[in-house]
Amino acid sequence: MFSVSTKSENGILTAALSGRIDSVNAAEAETKINAAVAGCTGAPVLDAAELAYLSSAGLRVILRLKKAYPGLKIVNVSSEVYEIFDMTGFTEMMEISKAYRKVSVEGCEVIGEGANGIVYRIDEDTIVKVYKNHDALAEIHNERELARKAFVMGVPTAIPYDVVQVGELYGSVFELLNAKSFAKLMIAEPEKTDEYAKQSAEILKTIHSTVLKPGELPDKKAEAVIWAEFCTEYLPADVGEKLLRMMREIPDTQNMIHGDYHIKNIMRQNGENLLIDMDTLAMGHPVFEFAAIYLAYVGFSCIDHNNVKDFLGISYEQARAFWNATLRSYFDTGDEAFLRSIENMSAVIGYARLLRRTVRKSRDSEEYKTKMIDYCKNTLCELVPQTDKLYF
Amino acid sequence: MDIHVKNENGEVTVTLAGRLDTTTAPALDKTIAEELGGAKTLIFDLKDLAYTSSAGLRCFLKAQKTMNRQGSMKLTNVSQTIMEILEITGFTDFLAVDTQE
Repeated sequence: MFSVSTKSENGILTAALSGRIDSVNAAEAETKINAAVAGCTGAPVLDAAELAYLSSAGLRVILRLKKAYPGLKIVNVSSEVYEIFDMTGFTEMMEISKAYRKVSVEGCEVIGEGANGIVYRIDEDTIVKVYKNHDALAEIHNERELARKAFVMGVPTAIPYDVVQVGELYGSVFELLNAKSFAKLMIAEPEKTDEYAKQSAEILKTIHSTVLKPGELPDKKAEAVIWAEFCTEYLPADVGEKLLRMMREIPDTQNMIHGDYHIKNIMRQNGENLLIDMDTLAMGHPVFEFAAIYLAYVGFSCIDHNNVKDFLGISYEQARAFWNATLRSYFDTGDEAFLRSIENMSAVIGYARLLRRTVRKSRDSEEYKTKMIDYCKNTLCELVPQTDKLYF
Repeated sequence: MDIHVKNENGEVTVTLAGRLDTTTAPALDKTIAEELGGAKTLIFDLKDLAYTSSAGLRCFLKAQKTMNRQGSMKLTNVSQTIMEILEITGFTDFLAVDTQE
């Protein structure tokens, strides 16, 4: 028995094959497949989840289809059928991907829950992050690629294993870290704030000393120029123009940038520091990293000092002290005038981003939004005229 | 974890047994740093390695970077469990690997 059913999503036609294709039914199967993909504009995708077996006659059917549609892809291939494709060299000829391993999280310990997923411990060494939305596959693959890239380039991070199917949802398997976040450690030992800042600065130096090829990661400056362009509509003309000019003048460098570097994303395990959440990895001048860090410890709490407590668990005072100590360690100087100039650059870029973010998608009350927007505008109006450049 | 090193005229064989993770990796790092001066080939015999975490993969990565400059490196007798870890993490793309017979 062989049957084909089709569905079309985002302009891509997927034909699901079910049963087996051998010398007995190859001609019939070919007719069915051709009818299913007839009139398909781009390249069709064959879903082989229910394809049980394929003989050499079946392979010839696939080959003819590949000739008609050079971009043909086969997905969800079982291990058995994959072996056939692999042995015959088909896997080198076209894109053929295995079905995702199926994992059950029933009875597994829940380790954490975030906005986009739940993390379960599945065995002694691994965890799975199950994404809540059904179409998370692209996001999962992107996050894993970034983590792998960082790891291979020498940035200490947890390694991603495979992508799995958990019921109707998808998950990403990661190595289990038996670790505590810097945030937890700093809550327990506030007197060690300077020491943790020093270690945090060391990791930052490792990240920033990693230089990528153009285009290898998203360009942070391109994003920042959009923030500045947005801000020109909210600022006096001279301030807006100067902000945009200074943002454009930031040198185009290809240093690796974590993008979401704060004490909840730095983990300590057996004396070793590791990073998590690599999905915001980007490249550009390190000043963009400091702008994001400034927001995490200081900027987000500008009109309500409790924000940092809710977000990171430490007091505003401790967060500020941590920010100052991070700067001192990273730049290895006690020159206050220099450090304040770095803080001002970080604040200018940071508030430009925060202004746009607040206007566009804040879930906060109108009153809070208005206050935040005013704060960002006033701070930019104060800092931009005193600033000559946004890089070091 | 047990680390056993044999050095024969610049051909260094490191035999690992047990679990390579954040607790045991520093010892391997230290051994590699001490033994690699002048090494032309480095062979990791992983016949009895039961598990490797990212810390272990980082050791291999570091060793590979050193050996790229002075010779070559290979992982041998790699069990199916370890091979699976190397494959799904993409490490087979840049490490030379021989599987267990």
